[in-house]
Amino acid sequence: MTQYVIIGDGISGSSAAETLREEDPDAKITVITDEGEPLYNRILIKEHAKGKLPEAPISIHDEDWYQEREIDLSLNTHVTSVDTDAKVVNTHDSGEIPYDKLLVATGGTPTQLPVENSDADGIHHFWTFEDARGIREHAENADKGVIVGAGLLGIDFAAVCGAQGIEAEYLMRGDRWWRYALSGDGAEIMHEGMREVGVEPVFDSGVDHFETDDDGHVTAAVDPNGDRYECDFVGAAIGLNFNTEFLRGSGIERDNGIVVDEHMQTNVDDVYAAGDLTRFYDVLLGEQAQNGSWGSAKEQGRVAAVNMAADEEAEGFQWVSSYSITHFDFPFLSFGHPTLGDEHAERRYSDTEWRRIAFKDGRIVGGVLIGDLSPQSKFKQLMREQRVVADQADVLLEQSVDLDDLAAPQEQ
Amino acid sequence: MNMAASERRRRSVRIEHADARLEQVESVAASATVRHVDQLDTETLAAVYRAVSEDRPVSTAATDLEPGEILVFTDYYRVARV
Ligand SMILES: Cc1cc2nc3c(=O)[nH]c(=O)nc-3n(C[C@H](O)[C@H](O)[C@H](O)COP(=O)(O)OP(=O)(O)OC[C@H]3O[C@@H](n4cnc5c(N)ncnc54)[C@H](O)[C@@H]3O)c2cc1C
Repeated sequence: MTQYVIIGDGISGSSAAETLREEDPDAKITVITDEGEPLYNRILIKEHAKGKLPEAPISIHDEDWYQEREIDLSLNTHVTSVDTDAKVVNTHDSGEIPYDKLLVATGGTPTQLPVENSDADGIHHFWTFEDARGIREHAENADKGVIVGAGLLGIDFAAVCGAQGIEAEYLMRGDRWWRYALSGDGAEIMHEGMREVGVEPVFDSGVDHFETDDDGHVTAAVDPNGDRYECDFVGAAIGLNFNTEFLRGSGIERDNGIVVDEHMQTNVDDVYAAGDLTRFYDVLLGEQAQNGSWGSAKEQGRVAAVNMAADEEAEGFQWVSSYSITHFDFPFLSFGHPTLGDEHAERRYSDTEWRRIAFKDGRIVGGVLIGDLSPQSKFKQLMREQRVVADQADVLLEQSVDLDDLAAPQEQ
Repeated sequence: MNMAASERRRRSVRIEHADARLEQVESVAASATVRHVDQLDTETLAAVYRAVSEDRPVSTAATDLEPGEILVFTDYYRVARV
């Protein structure tokens, strides 16, 4: 009987556990998590923090779910190291757990701002349900906010401030929000969305240090220009540190994440990885890449489990990731790798509609759609087909995209 | 004309039997089933977007939508049978 151990009960670990049970009914499966609750919907916790969603619908599995599938679940159990020669996982208080095949699915932890007083009371990071509960409780009583981190997670804090009636300033380092994927035109639509919910973007700013009162509660953020922003609530989302420190000495190759092939295999026999923390071989992109999205993490967990159970390279991971922002009146969707590419095409259609497509070697590798999501399935299809279309960007920028208007693909 | 694309379109027309609407909801009960749009597959997301932007019904058979569930998009929407 094969013994599978999965570290992490986020969506990638949990989806792997479910698939392993389907693929290998007799196996012993253990899932270890350092959180105090089984899998919940991490992409809905922001709705809880906004005060819009009760707790219950955010939970995905209860402990019975694991029992029914004869999966051992260890809550509140932190893995401290992995010995890949002896094939054991060491935990802080549950001793050694042996494995035949191991899946590392430990995701990331928000990076703390490296500035004075960044651990003051009232400064929040956002990853867990516990974080969301704390953010909600505090946000309901806060008046003035500061947000730091001009990316996809930072904007969730802007939405929390908007929904909870906190007047906030969003301090950004450059001249716009998510400058790696958006031009000025696209970003301006997002800035307008922020202003409409009471959050004012501040450009060429950031945080030099925080000020606190005698009780250690944050009272202001001071930016590198010396401008002072009073606040009693801060949301910081400047990036993720992948949870791989317990793999030190294991021989598993890491490079800001765990390096895996398209089968989710690491360089060490019988060790796999899945989810946010992988630097996986992206067959569509033709190079190593990273995704930070729910759908991708779920699929990586499933693919890893299929290959673990088959004990061979049975299935490769091939996926077009997508990530939405649903906080404003207009929709927003980024897909693939919108920050990569060697060529870009974009167009603005109205005050709330804009589109940008990223190409590499003539093929679509990602993009951002604001306001009008109608072409998303067509662009994802072109990505999967790896069609060379950059020379026909005009067709892709038509308000209504018709793939039949593209020249027939050349025989390769 | 791209044959694969036209064939796919014909197929989707054939199976589409719109049996649900997306109704905007203001609050969510603790017993509700809720999904974020990023949990939907590409085609279901396309159907949800069309339903919301063009005020059209959707087919639960041609998508992976479940009657009664709530979707978090630019508003909250309940998948209601018509
Ligand atoms: C606020 C927020 C909003 C988001 N919004 C969206 C969105 O709209 N759309 C989208 O697609 N994605 C969104 N994401 C991203 C998405 O949630 C992640 O991509 C996905 O959940 C990653 O899943 P995972 O299984 O890889 O990692 P995680 O969910 O991070 O799970 C890893 C688990 O491993 C545990 N762990 C770590 N180290 C150890 C250890 N040493 N021992 C034991 N356990 C350990 C962690 O505690 C955690 O439970 C959002 C994320 C956040 C935080």
